[in-house]
Amino acid sequence: MSLIFSFIPYIKRLIVLILILFGLAVGFILSKALFDLSIYSNAVFDFMIDKSSYNVAYFSSSLIGALGIISFIGLVLLVGSWVERRMIAKFQIRVGPNRVGIFGLLQPIADAIKLMQKEVLVPAVADKLLFFIAPVAIFIPAILAWAPIPWGPNMTYLNINIGILYIFAVSSLTVPIIFFAGWSSMNHYALLGSMRTVAMMVSYEIPISLSLLSVVIITGTLNLTEIVLWQSSNSIWLGLLIPFSLFTFFFSSTAEINRTPNDIAEAESEIVAGYHIEYSGMKAGLFMAVELGNAVLLGALVTSLFLNGWFLFGLENYIPPYIIFIAKTVAIYIVLIWLRATLPRFRLDQLMNFAWKMLIPVSIINFFMIAIETTIITNLDSSKYIIYLFAIINIAVFVGLIILWSKIFKIDKFSPEKIAPIFAQKIGGIKAMEGTKSVD
Amino acid sequence: MIVEEYFRVFLLLILSILFPLLPLSGSYLFSKINYRPFNSNDVKSAIYECGVESEDITWRQFNAKYFLYALGFVIFDVEVIFLFPWAVIHSEQSYDIFLKVAIFVGVLAFGLLYAWKWRALEWQ
Repeated sequence: MSLIFSFIPYIKRLIVLILILFGLAVGFILSKALFDLSIYSNAVFDFMIDKSSYNVAYFSSSLIGALGIISFIGLVLLVGSWVERRMIAKFQIRVGPNRVGIFGLLQPIADAIKLMQKEVLVPAVADKLLFFIAPVAIFIPAILAWAPIPWGPNMTYLNINIGILYIFAVSSLTVPIIFFAGWSSMNHYALLGSMRTVAMMVSYEIPISLSLLSVVIITGTLNLTEIVLWQSSNSIWLGLLIPFSLFTFFFSSTAEINRTPNDIAEAESEIVAGYHIEYSGMKAGLFMAVELGNAVLLGALVTSLFLNGWFLFGLENYIPPYIIFIAKTVAIYIVLIWLRATLPRFRLDQLMNFAWKMLIPVSIINFFMIAIETTIITNLDSSKYIIYLFAIINIAVFVGLIILWSKIFKIDKFSPEKIAPIFAQKIGGIKAMEGTKSVD
Repeated sequence: MIVEEYFRVFLLLILSILFPLLPLSGSYLFSKINYRPFNSNDVKSAIYECGVESEDITWRQFNAKYFLYALGFVIFDVEVIFLFPWAVIHSEQSYDIFLKVAIFVGVLAFGLLYAWKWRALEWQ
């Protein structure tokens, strides 16, 4: 009898295990019908083109895809915040939210309802229009950047041949919107936070573009689907072939989306809450939500650019490809949570030095190396295995460059400061005049 | 065909504007049924400043170092945009185009080193 009682604490886990197995079984049965979700969109297109014109059919089939993306993001915003809080709690040896619903799964919904009930405070001196626009408009880049993501063989909402440029163009819209939020609040902390964020984001956009340049050089295309197919046809993940680009892209993107190792914008100990200090209620919740959505978007981008998208060692023939894609995305998201739980925040001057003195010069060296390697690969197409040789060389060079460059960095750090003049003082008109107060 | 593809961007743009308006309108509805409190006063609608009144206007001169970083960003971003068309066709091209790109990037890299030497990259 006591043996049975000793199992009681494990019953909850047993139930979870049974539920997971049941879900897998149901998924396997349904996987025939759910293998390629684009058939539903195509079916709508075929149905509508009989009834009405081509444009209406195209519109309705596009709407299916758009609603699919939007509902996926809505689901991510609800489940993701629960996952993040539970995982952070596990890292800090706490329990985490476990009261609302089973395992606290309904906690995000309760949070949303609570935020909606809260009183909305708008500063009397604020710029009302921009103050309202900022939390709404910040969703535009976060959602539009999902469009060219390849979920599966036929499941790309926007299959354009300039996918990477499109993502650059759309994601850089975040910079002015964050500045709207800080500037319209009329708060010293908010303006300072948004200025620092803008300076950091524009600095880290260059390493991102240079690291993706190596991807484009080696694959010869800007289309995300073709990049995924290139990786599977050469049977190597780009993250292994060009590890420095993966590192640069991942680290710089955490700066771009204000995740914790680099969340200068929200440094509570320095500038309270950064650019969204004056926002309350649901508007503050929207800023939190978009940060989470961007983290998952980063996971999707890393997956399709560096981790071979929906391919996983032949498993994509048995499991729906988009499930594999989402699994890889969630894995990257969990790495981000891990980083958040582990690393402290970097200082702003450290981050700026890292971007301008380390990432940009080393990225330039890196993409020249990749260009020479690509020339060798295309001219020497006798052996396919040379690509694996280059992968080993690149990993070695990646480690070597980081060690070498940090040594150069140290020499620079201890150089006498009085020899070189300060640049900002040399250009007289730009610096604030003597006597006028200047915000740091 | 291109117009059709970018119509999909437009559709997603409309939905992405409607998406955050959904919870905001829920918040608005709560205020309509007098469930959400709304009693503002001077102290509440003042800007946050750690408990004291905010001094001076916020929109004023700012430090020049932000401007320097923005300048560097513009130079290098334009460089990258010029490099992307080359990157797509690189594998089909001969060596002399690669040499020209090397000279182009080399000039900019030299500029970066020059700015580094003159301490324009220091966050002072």
